[in-house]
Amino acid sequence: MPIPTPFHPRTSEFCTSLQWKEWAGYYAIRSFDVHFDREYYAFRHAAGMIDVTPLYKYDVRGPDATAYLNRIVVRNIAKLKQNQVAYLCWCDDDGKVIDDGTVTRFEEDYYRVTSTDPDFHWFLRHMRGFDVTVENITDEVAALSVQGPNSRDVLRDVCDADMDKLKFFRTTKTRVDGGIDARISRTGYTGDLGYEIWVKNDDALGLWDALMAAGEPHGLVPAGLDAMDVTRIEAGFILNGIDYFNALHSLIERRKASPYELSLGWAVHLKRDPFIGQEALRHIKKDGPPRLFVGLDIDWPSFERLFAKHGLPPEVHSGGWRTGVPIYDSGGNFIGQATSGAWSPLLKKNLALATVQAEHGHIGNTVHLEVTVEYERKTVPATIVPKPFFDPERMKA
Amino acid sequence: MAYDVIVIGAGHNGLACATILAKEARRVLIVEQRDVIGGLCAGEEFHPGYRHTGLLHDTSGLRPWLVEELGLSGHGLKPGPAPHRVFSPQTDGPGLVLSSVPDESVAEIARHSDRDARQFQVFGTFLGRLRKVIEPLLNKTPVNPSDLGVGDFFDLAPHGIAARRLGKRDMMELLRIPPMCVADWLREWFETELLNASIAGPAISGGWTGPWSPGTSTNFLMQTSTWNGPGQGGVAAVVSALENAATGSGVEIRTGAAVKRIDIEQGAVRGITLLDGDEIEARSVVSSCDPRTTFLDLISPRELSHKLEQYVRDYRMRGTTAKVHLALNRPLEWASRPGEQFEYIRTGEELDDLERAFDAVKYRQRSERPVLEVHVPTVARPDLAPQGHSVASVLVHFAPHHFEEGWSDSAREALGDAVVDERERYAPGARDLVVGREVLTPVDIEKRYGLAGGHIYHGEHGLDQLITRPVPGCTGYATPLDGLYLCGSGCHPGGGVTGAPGALAAHVIQSSRQ
Repeated sequence: MPIPTPFHPRTSEFCTSLQWKEWAGYYAIRSFDVHFDREYYAFRHAAGMIDVTPLYKYDVRGPDATAYLNRIVVRNIAKLKQNQVAYLCWCDDDGKVIDDGTVTRFEEDYYRVTSTDPDFHWFLRHMRGFDVTVENITDEVAALSVQGPNSRDVLRDVCDADMDKLKFFRTTKTRVDGGIDARISRTGYTGDLGYEIWVKNDDALGLWDALMAAGEPHGLVPAGLDAMDVTRIEAGFILNGIDYFNALHSLIERRKASPYELSLGWAVHLKRDPFIGQEALRHIKKDGPPRLFVGLDIDWPSFERLFAKHGLPPEVHSGGWRTGVPIYDSGGNFIGQATSGAWSPLLKKNLALATVQAEHGHIGNTVHLEVTVEYERKTVPATIVPKPFFDPERMKA
Repeated sequence: MAYDVIVIGAGHNGLACATILAKEARRVLIVEQRDVIGGLCAGEEFHPGYRHTGLLHDTSGLRPWLVEELGLSGHGLKPGPAPHRVFSPQTDGPGLVLSSVPDESVAEIARHSDRDARQFQVFGTFLGRLRKVIEPLLNKTPVNPSDLGVGDFFDLAPHGIAARRLGKRDMMELLRIPPMCVADWLREWFETELLNASIAGPAISGGWTGPWSPGTSTNFLMQTSTWNGPGQGGVAAVVSALENAATGSGVEIRTGAAVKRIDIEQGAVRGITLLDGDEIEARSVVSSCDPRTTFLDLISPRELSHKLEQYVRDYRMRGTTAKVHLALNRPLEWASRPGEQFEYIRTGEELDDLERAFDAVKYRQRSERPVLEVHVPTVARPDLAPQGHSVASVLVHFAPHHFEEGWSDSAREALGDAVVDERERYAPGARDLVVGREVLTPVDIEKRYGLAGGHIYHGEHGLDQLITRPVPGCTGYATPLDGLYLCGSGCHPGGGVTGAPGALAAHVIQSSRQ
């Protein structure tokens, strides 16, 4: 049975829809209202605030912390400066992705790892020979994510850090509302300007209240997972367990993916000290990945026509969908699958994230996505387009 | 390059491997952490004026082809004194002497059971037939079951033909027996518990097994199929012949040279670094250390794949054997056979004695009544003790490496007392002969010999660990790291003083260089 996060007394008060789901063992809100659109537009036009406590957090400390993490992750984190964050993934011996997440370097010998899956065991397994401690602080540190064009203004009003100097993928210590010690990291899962704020559990409610009060003039709205899911699809971000599967949980090879198949090849630094999967990744890179992770723009007129034949208006999911559907080439051969998608209210486009065979994965190629119309399976053309679908300058500015 | 090959460890396998490699005029160096040569077979003084001949004493598994290949007879190794006898004493009864001369054994068994005496003859011929199939498999490089090629087929074909020649009945037995526990199997043959216990003893020696543990029959079949009788002079003669052969072939041996790490660069061996900081370059490094020590202590975790590390960590090396050396001021006598001297003695009057001794170790306790494998080297080598005195060198089963209360000094002495008490049952008065003793717990064995878990066979002889010995990916002496090989008892065909892993590893290294 899930447990409440430290923000539960506040979030439950606002959650008029009573729409909860389980996220990593915690109660998480799908949407506060009956429909998530107010929260979605807050993310895109003002600021939304979401409880991201369930994200797994591990603190790594010790003289060998850098070498230790570099042994596990694909990216060379020795290059990280203090208070810098890196997005990356870690693989098994065969170069297949176990999980993706971030590594933040707080101090010379102090890092924080975030992950989607509970990977603590994986980090524990590789400690031999390294002078480090690894601590699972998931249950001790509460986290809020404030995302959207006004998020900086909200934080500027409530904390003493110089928010205008905090660059993209950087972090800073701060004091919120004059009394709460917090760490702010300019990261997020919406592909927009945004921040994640970590505090001790005891300070959770104080942080919530301070941010809500400071956020009111800036249009800050509590938001749920449904709204965030649409934004992450617009941003083209992968989701472990949906768009790919943890290699350690996969029973068959086909389910596993290398970073090169997940558009994460840029994060792999092969020319450095040995790390888990390095040798295999060298080969995969040399041979080229067999599949590619791509963005799809589903052709709307064709989609409309399929429904019109039955006298129906086009039916789109009200939010993000994550029921995988097959993709075919023009000859009707199976070439991959779309794993998640959403109608983008902002872009007015029917979008999907998909994995397709490499030879079909070039930008501009037309593929055929299965749709079910009045119980009949049909296909609709979709064009492979660059990701992210939505990429505002303000995210990094 | 300073050396072509560095072999880590100057035990019988390290010496055999280095000598074979040096025959092709390679520059070969052996580094040995101890000041004595011989590894588990190194004889040492354990009490002023008294010497033992090493941790292990059974040389009957030494391979004749190896003796020939290395010309060990030219270096002083002589065939053993026939007959070879092992004595199983009783507290109340004549005991039993099993001999390498079948008629002697039959006469001994007849003192207990005529039926078993007849059965023993049939048993002997049956084992002789199985040996024709089993022995060759234990004298060749193992086949990697996950990577069978055409060459392997031709390689294996003769074994298949040999197996077919067994006939249906023996073939069925060959399939049926290996997974069995040795107790069930022996009870199909014999009614005399003393005989069963005597035969079962070696099958569970060194293992984390009792006679009712599955697969222990395999251990028995392996040992009996490679039994060649001990040579003259025991392990000391084997070690000195191997050392002479090695130095005669130009192998350089450096003692007191403990290895800190095996140096690896980009997945390939560069050499070794000694504990004193000395760096020695070599094209290949061959480790006769156990797999866990080799991979987990001598190689940086950064160089191991996760899978290999997991395999090595999961490789079972739970030491269950202790060693007690006793200095005695008179020859050792046994109540069952007054006036007779025996060199090899095994206690345990029935299978349950062995099983009960094993039970304790499952719960991290030592046996209240341990099973003793006693070697009295002074029977053949009176010079190991002062005139008229003797030495008893006792392998003690079972004492857990992970002893629940920990191996303190008092726990160590209590173990020594338990051994003396147990021997006293069969040799009343022997307690008063003891003038000095040395007790080695599995932890002491681990420390002295650099043996992870204190496991005398470099890893348990479980069925799985014999098929892919030591671990998948390293079954054919080569490892995933270029230029790094294994040649110790952790490799096929397993532990004991055989020289086979060392020699077979050398053959693999030679062929990979060609």
